[in-house]
Amino acid sequence: MATLRRAEAEDMLYAEARLLDERRYGEWLEMLTEDSTYWMPCNGNGTDPNREISLIYDDFAKLSDRIDRLTSDVAHAQSPPSKTKRLISNVQVEPVDDGANVISAFILYELRRGKQRVFAGRYEHRIRFEDGRWKIAAKKTVLVDNDEVIDNLTFIV
Amino acid sequence: MELKLDELVQDSRVHRRIYLEPEIFELEMERIFESNWVFVGHESEVADPGDYKTVPIGTQPAIMTRDEGGEIHVLMNRCTHRGSTICQEQRGNTHTFRCWYHGWTFNNKGDLIGVPYANGYGGSFDKRNFSLIKAARVERYRGLVFASLNPEVESLADYLASAKYYIDLFMDLSPQGEVESRSGIHKYGYDGNWKFQMENGVDGYHPNFVHQSFFETQGKQLGRQAMQLFAGNSECESKDLGNGHAILDMAPRRAATTRPVPNLLRGATSRASSDAYIESLIRRHGNDRTAEILAASNVNLAIFPNLLVIGIQLRITIPVSAKRTDVHLLPTTLKGVPDEINVARLRAHESFYGPAGGGAPDDVEMFTRCTEGLRVKGAEWLELSRGLERERIGVDGLTVGHITDEVPQRAFYRRWKALMCGVAQSRQIKPLRVARTV
Repeated sequence: MATLRRAEAEDMLYAEARLLDERRYGEWLEMLTEDSTYWMPCNGNGTDPNREISLIYDDFAKLSDRIDRLTSDVAHAQSPPSKTKRLISNVQVEPVDDGANVISAFILYELRRGKQRVFAGRYEHRIRFEDGRWKIAAKKTVLVDNDEVIDNLTFIV
Repeated sequence: MELKLDELVQDSRVHRRIYLEPEIFELEMERIFESNWVFVGHESEVADPGDYKTVPIGTQPAIMTRDEGGEIHVLMNRCTHRGSTICQEQRGNTHTFRCWYHGWTFNNKGDLIGVPYANGYGGSFDKRNFSLIKAARVERYRGLVFASLNPEVESLADYLASAKYYIDLFMDLSPQGEVESRSGIHKYGYDGNWKFQMENGVDGYHPNFVHQSFFETQGKQLGRQAMQLFAGNSECESKDLGNGHAILDMAPRRAATTRPVPNLLRGATSRASSDAYIESLIRRHGNDRTAEILAASNVNLAIFPNLLVIGIQLRITIPVSAKRTDVHLLPTTLKGVPDEINVARLRAHESFYGPAGGGAPDDVEMFTRCTEGLRVKGAEWLELSRGLERERIGVDGLTVGHITDEVPQRAFYRRWKALMCGVAQSRQIKPLRVARTV
């Protein structure tokens, strides 16, 4: 069983950050396993998505639909699209049976329609070894301001 | 040219200044939000004694509480001593609120129960004169809590007028006749006037353009069905429900149904859960009423001035300033149904709503585009005449139009004008002259 080293985990997170900042969403999806979920809780850290509303709780199929929509010509909230740049730090790797949980902190700057906004939060990536490489089996994004009013979150954090 | 307030809202058009001017916004707070019923929340948000949540009335901070006797109060969040807010959390449970500036303490009914070093105030000081300001009236309908700062306001039941029928349908989707709002709150906002949100929630003309991208990713059949509801040849209707309330009624016109209406905003569930659910509805309501509930439950309902009932959600529009609005979405779950039904409701809601949803952010985008566009001078009016020549009075005496018609917006502005220009309350108030737009 391969062990995910911190340097490898960081490389993965940086690669993912670059794909998302460059809106290369198709390539990003290829980093995910097909049973992957993307969870962005609302109103706090998130305990049970079946009992509480989330900002996003997508399985792979819904995530693919989301990206089809966001990259269509008529997704108005992304027309023009957001420009983003995110920094990732404080990476911690916790080994589990078939991979690792990777916890990190991020700061994301987003610019759209002449206004720049700052988001910050915690990523929790469940990483699994599959088809000869490390893949994202689940991603949870906990925004610092997920219990506050947010105007537009129609880019992938 | 200077227009009087009552000239800014006409039968089939409204002036751009009502979306832009701080002076008109202030008047709206006074004559609409502080003189009328406003929606403050669902009773399940404060289910237990001591529960509270903060909620504004217009722009004034307030707290909705449930006392030990089960009564719901709406208290203004302002210490009667020197003005500090007394409650800092969005929600929680407490029997007392302490102002930490000088330690004055109130119970959750609003009574002042503690003053530190009280002898400093002398013998004539009476705590009873320093209770928190309270909403003069708090009334409930099917779990929906409304408050009014105006003691003379009509009864809530009268106020809700014909909207009650549709609120009943929404609540009766539960075999126990009750929904709960305990699954959290989506919060989004935009740089634009609060009325954009209220107009849009019952606008059947916009979905096929604003939400095209959403419908197209929902699978061919469901997406096409949804777009057909809002097409030029749709059989669905828009309706004026009185007192500024209105609805987009998407009940099938031809045949009653005993199956759940396919609905993108309620989600799909297994046959087993669905069957168990429908059986429980029939047991409670009988076949005919169940068919009516299932058919007419797909609605967009607006309750003037700040509540929208859409999909599974109760939506509160919160005016912040003339060009800033917050919106809170309270998704509801049904009491007495298989868990799977409620999970599907949450997932379906998330897919469209909230700041990361596949639909609502595109609406919000239009509000900010309107706010920008309305800076253009010379084009002074927003046109709301669609369907004026084909609307009719239905069998129930309500004005009915095509789903894409602007019947709901005209209903909204008739009420707006009546309140703002004093017709609805007292004819003595003179129409205000508003300053020229700078």
